[in-house]
Amino acid sequence: MVGGFRWAAMFPDEVWEHVFSFLPADADRNAAALVCRAWYRIERRSRWRVFVGNCYAVEPAAAVRRFPEVRAAAIKGKPHFADFNLVPSDWGGGAEAWVEAMAEGWPHLEELRLKRMVVSDDCLELIARCFKNFKVLSLVSCEGFSTAGLAAIAANCRNLRELDLHENEVEDNCLHWMSHFPESFASLVTLNIACLEGEVNVSVLERLIGRCPNLKTLRLNHSVPLERLVGLLHRVPQLVDLGTGKFAAQHHPELFSKLESAIAGCKNLKSLSGFWEAGPTYLPAIYSVCEGLTSLNLSYATLQGPELIKLISRCKNLQRLWVMDLIEDDGLIAVAASCKLLQELRVFPSDPYGAAQPISLTEHGLVAISAGCPMLHSVLYFCRQMTNAALLTVAKNCPNFTCFRLCIMEPHTPDYITRQPLDAGFSAIVESCKHLRRLSLSGLLTDLVFKSIGASANCLEMLSVAFAGDGDAGLHYILSGCKNLRKLEIRDCPFGDKPLLDNAAKLETMRSLWMSSCSVTLGACRQLARKMPLLNVEVINERKRGLPLELQPDNCPVEKLYIYRTVAGPRSDTPSCVWILR
Amino acid sequence: MELELGLALPGGDLIAELGLASEKRTSTCRKRGFDDMFYGATSPPLFVHKDGDDDDGDDDDSRFNHLQELNLGSRVLVGWPPVRVSRRKGEEGGKRRVNCVKVNMEGVAIGRKVDLSLHDSYQALFLTLSQMFPKKQHDGEESDAAFYKVTYEDEDGDWMLVGDVPWEAFIQSVKRLKILN
Repeated sequence: MVGGFRWAAMFPDEVWEHVFSFLPADADRNAAALVCRAWYRIERRSRWRVFVGNCYAVEPAAAVRRFPEVRAAAIKGKPHFADFNLVPSDWGGGAEAWVEAMAEGWPHLEELRLKRMVVSDDCLELIARCFKNFKVLSLVSCEGFSTAGLAAIAANCRNLRELDLHENEVEDNCLHWMSHFPESFASLVTLNIACLEGEVNVSVLERLIGRCPNLKTLRLNHSVPLERLVGLLHRVPQLVDLGTGKFAAQHHPELFSKLESAIAGCKNLKSLSGFWEAGPTYLPAIYSVCEGLTSLNLSYATLQGPELIKLISRCKNLQRLWVMDLIEDDGLIAVAASCKLLQELRVFPSDPYGAAQPISLTEHGLVAISAGCPMLHSVLYFCRQMTNAALLTVAKNCPNFTCFRLCIMEPHTPDYITRQPLDAGFSAIVESCKHLRRLSLSGLLTDLVFKSIGASANCLEMLSVAFAGDGDAGLHYILSGCKNLRKLEIRDCPFGDKPLLDNAAKLETMRSLWMSSCSVTLGACRQLARKMPLLNVEVINERKRGLPLELQPDNCPVEKLYIYRTVAGPRSDTPSCVWILR
Repeated sequence: MELELGLALPGGDLIAELGLASEKRTSTCRKRGFDDMFYGATSPPLFVHKDGDDDDGDDDDSRFNHLQELNLGSRVLVGWPPVRVSRRKGEEGGKRRVNCVKVNMEGVAIGRKVDLSLHDSYQALFLTLSQMFPKKQHDGEESDAAFYKVTYEDEDGDWMLVGDVPWEAFIQSVKRLKILN
């Protein structure tokens, strides 16, 4: 349109800002920003929430410059497989660069959420000092900090509402960090310290939560004994989300009845977790609140099937259940009968290395749940056997899956009845579940399953593949299909250079690709890096740490490969086992 | 155990060899088992092949065969099944339990003790071992092939090569360690 988008100037900026505030997703705001320069300008000044899925995709200073009014930021660092020790511990993901840039450009920042990043105590101190109105700190799967850093947060963040520490590695060097919350501090809404390994001063905690009338979430760590839970609960009867500490003690009728009444006193409880070392003795103390529970995490409790059944069958309104495979098929059948509102199920392995006696958790449990729970849409299931027939049934029962992660613990396990690969089963899942966004495969799989996935999984955003496929075709099907694929992580598959090079352009449409123990050579990586300047091609070779990569021949096999799109160019903080090819 | 009484402490530089061993560990974890079956091993498996007799009355004959079976039937791989480390630790309530095991070096009379609970990885363990048993310089000659192997006795009484199983599984089953020349 010659003359530009003059109509954009028909309304004052504030009107457009107001219009943009109705756009729900960042993707929509991004699209609006591309329409014309005026909208770009207006949108960037009015965006107050930013999500950075890969901390190396953009320079921190650039992000801060573009969106000067940000109040809430979420940033992710290491690739997902770092959770399973596949990423070298010094790979990167340090938070300093981001925290420094944010301290400089976003002094009004209120919320910071970091996932899989290395956060030092210095970072925490900087956060504590620089953001005067800081309200929410959420650290998930992070490491590099200690309770001394938490002390700084406690002492300085006068308006802190949420301190959410989820599955971090925290060094315990400051026993009394919680005492650093001033006496006047009363604003906590969420306190999650479940991942802390050290002792907690329960008296200090009691006083702290006692003066926070808005506290809704309290997740304790395993060091808090059951006896002290009673006193804590008396101070926060308004709790909605409770994570217990150690849930075991010598049997004592008085303690039991005190606990029972303290828990019953929390009339708003919707979510329970913790339950470390839980046994049958004290479990009945929570029966009174079961009817109101929507979320129950028993995945750290080594309770046996019968106890679990007694408990869970009372939870008629459960939407989310995380449990150990000790629940067995019988337990899941009971869940299917009682928990008709179940949306998310996660079954974790009690014995990942298979040294103990076999557990009777099989495909039958999964089928039962799929049949009994019409609202089920998210599943994580660890088991040791599966059949195509079962998966076909599950696919038919649950066309609404958004997340399906099946882990058959022995690699290359076929259908145990027909001895066939599980291609048919997983194909049925992707063909039936048109809204599937996340999928993890396991078992014996040929290239055929990838053909189905490439063709049918149109909403798929994240795919995890291990010990699967026959050759290059498998990877080619994925990369040439799956039009919404954002994250692909692959280990121990016979995928090589050709599908990568043939689908180089696809990689720029994705956030990242991880490949380890596959058949990719250095030569292909070099070619890919030359062809695609907007990708960082990281070759990770721990065995060749420190050796000059330039001297290695093209046919040198690549141990681990991490490719991600970026506008920041190669990062400068690579350790000696990581090379970024250009 | 062969007792070689000398006047000097065992000397030398274990570090490089043990460092190599730990690097190779990653490759063997990656390369053995199913990878070997499907697209061929490109590096030789790191076995403990100890000739001659044995020092503690262990059953030596079946050792090599046992390990060979372990290679092809091995079910232990790095990061598999995909369970978060914290979840595996969670069963113990996250508490550090002291886990001391004896360490002997072949040909060395005096053994040591190492507390595995103070280590979180094979790399850390090898570093400690290299400090406990520094290697003697062999007249300036260092043979690449003659790297030190560290083995351990597991709960079944079998001697295995250290580094084959994920760290968490190792510390639960290890009873004692032996460094071989």
